Amino acid sequence: MSMGGDKLVHSVNNVKTGAPCDTKSLGNFLWEDLPDEKKWEDCVHCGLCLEACPTYQETGEEQHSPRGRVHLVKAVAEGKLDVNEAFSKPIFDCLDCRACETACPADVQVGGLIEEARGQIRQAMPLTGFAGVLSKTALKGFFPYQKRMNTLGGLMRFYQKSGIQSAVRKTGLLNVMPTHLKDMEAILPKVDKPILGRYPEIVPAVGAPKQRVGMLTGCVMDVMFSDVNEATVRVLTHNGFEVGLPTQQGCCGALHIHAGDRETGKKLAKQNMEAFKDYDKVLVNAAGCGCALQEYDELFRNDPEMLPLAKEFSAKVEDVSKFLYDNDFKRPKAEIKTKITYHDACHLAHGQGVRFEPRQLLKEIPGVEMVDLPDADRCCGSAGIYNLTHPEMAGALLERKMDDVPDNVEMISMGNPGCMLQIAMGVEKYGRSEKVVHTVQLLDWAYEKEKKEAVDLMKSK
Amino acid sequence: MFGKKRKKQCSDPVVQQLITMVGESEVLYLKEELIAYECDGYTMSKGMPRAVVFVNNTEQVSEVVKLLNKEKVPFIARGAGTGLSGGATPFGGEVIISLVRMKKMLHLDLENRKAVIEPGYVNLKLTQSISDKGYYYAPDPSSQYACTVGGNVAENAGGAHCLKYGVTTNHILGLEIVLPTGEIVEIGDDGIPDHPGYDLLGLLTGSEGTLGIVTKITVKVLKNPEDKKTVLAYYDDINDASQSVSDIISTGIIPAALEMMDSIAIEGVESAAYPVGHPSDIAAFLLIEVDGISAGIDDQINEILTVCKNNNVRKVKVAKDEAERGLWWANRKTGFGAMGTISPDYLVQDGVIPRTRLPEVLGEIAEISIKYKLRIANIFHAGDGNLHPLILFDASIPGQSERASKAGSECLKVCADVGGSITGEHGVGIEKSAEMRFIFSEEEVAAQTNIRAVFNPENLLNPGKLFPQPGRCVEVKKEPEKVEV
Repeated sequence: MSMGGDKLVHSVNNVKTGAPCDTKSLGNFLWEDLPDEKKWEDCVHCGLCLEACPTYQETGEEQHSPRGRVHLVKAVAEGKLDVNEAFSKPIFDCLDCRACETACPADVQVGGLIEEARGQIRQAMPLTGFAGVLSKTALKGFFPYQKRMNTLGGLMRFYQKSGIQSAVRKTGLLNVMPTHLKDMEAILPKVDKPILGRYPEIVPAVGAPKQRVGMLTGCVMDVMFSDVNEATVRVLTHNGFEVGLPTQQGCCGALHIHAGDRETGKKLAKQNMEAFKDYDKVLVNAAGCGCALQEYDELFRNDPEMLPLAKEFSAKVEDVSKFLYDNDFKRPKAEIKTKITYHDACHLAHGQGVRFEPRQLLKEIPGVEMVDLPDADRCCGSAGIYNLTHPEMAGALLERKMDDVPDNVEMISMGNPGCMLQIAMGVEKYGRSEKVVHTVQLLDWAYEKEKKEAVDLMKSK
Repeated sequence: MFGKKRKKQCSDPVVQQLITMVGESEVLYLKEELIAYECDGYTMSKGMPRAVVFVNNTEQVSEVVKLLNKEKVPFIARGAGTGLSGGATPFGGEVIISLVRMKKMLHLDLENRKAVIEPGYVNLKLTQSISDKGYYYAPDPSSQYACTVGGNVAENAGGAHCLKYGVTTNHILGLEIVLPTGEIVEIGDDGIPDHPGYDLLGLLTGSEGTLGIVTKITVKVLKNPEDKKTVLAYYDDINDASQSVSDIISTGIIPAALEMMDSIAIEGVESAAYPVGHPSDIAAFLLIEVDGISAGIDDQINEILTVCKNNNVRKVKVAKDEAERGLWWANRKTGFGAMGTISPDYLVQDGVIPRTRLPEVLGEIAEISIKYKLRIANIFHAGDGNLHPLILFDASIPGQSERASKAGSECLKVCADVGGSITGEHGVGIEKSAEMRFIFSEEEVAAQTNIRAVFNPENLLNPGKLFPQPGRCVEVKKEPEKVEV
């Protein structure tokens, strides 16, 4: 049927004269690293994913549902649709939160399929405008480079400590920023120096070492929440693990893979696989990074040389909360008297199937009272850099998340830095008072209190 | 919600008028958006709609319908699109009126055990929203995680628990409807039993979106049963399982649910998201649930266990807790979708038979499977004789869709021939309109299309669904039409 408007048709023609891969294509997917047919073959269009999808819940539009997106990708592969702006929109409006994968009876890997389709779109239509600038400066220019990230962290420390932050806040300079960036500035955590490079490459266990484990320090986590990384190292060593922090490790690549830049994602993946090659276990305290690391095999699915190595690596990766629980973590004896609720990071609950263990870590701290968060595993809207690229949808999801937070809790715990920033923003924006914490931090506080009480007891004797 | 404006203007005058009427953000018209609406949960027939319009209230539905009448454009009401007979699938060129944004609860009256909801309200959410007060909504189709109550009314949806509690029509107390000509009418009288005059609620419920668009629904809500217990019974011989079904009913017990799955269906669910650990070498299992006041539940369970044992059951057990019961049901309720793990496509049939003919009908379905060289899994509401043979095929292999379609039709013929029906709860839609001739004569079809003409005089609302086109017959049923886009 006629749709009018020549602009799109024109851009489609441009796309097709681009540089398709010479080896093979799949319908109108013409570029390297083709999407996986098997993933849509598993989908029988039953629709049980619809209500699990935050973007469908908000819009009610089928093309913004997991089933609809899978149908669109299939339509391109069947040659019924072109890779163009209108196809790109629903594919990039997906949060990549994986809630659909939990709901799906046939285990369709929607997230992986979306990432593969984004890889095609980005090769067909390189980014322009704000998104292009963001992608080039942040994703390509900063995240892959530890030093630049550290410099950025250093600038933020300078910004906070020099008095510029308070000056900027007072002068109303912030008003020239878009609202969502302004909201974000308001909650910037107090930035400390990253632990990678500051800590020794091997941090010894307390007492006889049970096992040596590698730890991914992450980029956002180490720059914005180095205190969480410090807590993680303390908790692991307290539990008898020797913690390796290989300095050649880098960003996990999740943000690049989500954005369709699979090439940079693969480079980073190779760097990390090399960095941790001497470790049997790689622990991660950022759900998004952990999930990305566990899916390196998915990233290299079209690379027969890398695939076995990636599979081997991915199998070594585990979230720190699950690792602690499975390895009989030391039950803290000191009491932390607080009421707390737990938010499931999408890439922990849906991406890695880890729900029970972090809750259990919290519950076993004496004095901690857990209050259920309704729909705890619904995305908070952070979704990597989604809150920067899609502020309206991210804001709507954040509002729902904050509405759900029970009134009487003092802390909201979770296992992902993106969620921590987003929910901290919600606390600030809606004038609430809850403290946003990482699960491991709470455990750390309990251990530290226990140590202090032991020292005090010694002194009093 | 997704801020960015579409760059393209639409030149279609009907779309332009719709945009003027309801706003740009409420109308979809790009090919890349519409293709997501080319089918519902029944994927064998596809057609591109002319546009999709989202409505937010009854008045908007009425205005949109009046406009489409004036322009003589056919239109279809759509909920979540989980239907299994193509009831919300366009043939090509229809405007889809999506009711999913009308999803408010308007009134809850627990004292009188009723709730008034908009049609886009999701079935399971209704139960979830009142469960803390001790109430629930009984009809529970397997798609209840996503399907809307509006769609349930259109299809007269059933579910695992309709053996004891009845299907959707038994739970509807009143409806507000926009007629195909745009007038707004209310029918039913909020639960007054046997209202004088014709039973219009009964007529509208299950009319598959051909008589009107439901915009407001008064439903019955029930008090949670005081207790429930669930039994899982494994059989080496499907005839023993079938006999157990008849014997359980003969005892006088009316289970809340009495479900059966055969070995191929078990293979599917066990390789999917909610494996229970059913043995791979059994012929069938029964999932039996009894509920009600606590006193007597154990007696009923004991009686059921005895029946199972008398029918050579290999193993039978009672769910030890809510978690186990929940897993058994998740395994069962995701059964259709789980077929994706063992087959790229499936066609689900919805035949009804007298319970006592179960072994014989299953034998004939097995022969159809051999004849068409397609595997057929069986998941069914055994208690009320509602079969769901799932014909497994691969649409990308030439000829398989056609064979699946023919095999499905033959399954229904078997059901009709033993005195049953071609559908129990999924509706006729596009899928089974030709098979209506298995159970209705030309005169009976004509009598019904005459009723349709009273409501839907120009046949603009959901045309081509439910009844066979004059002259079309089963033998010439072709490869499902694919509309080129």
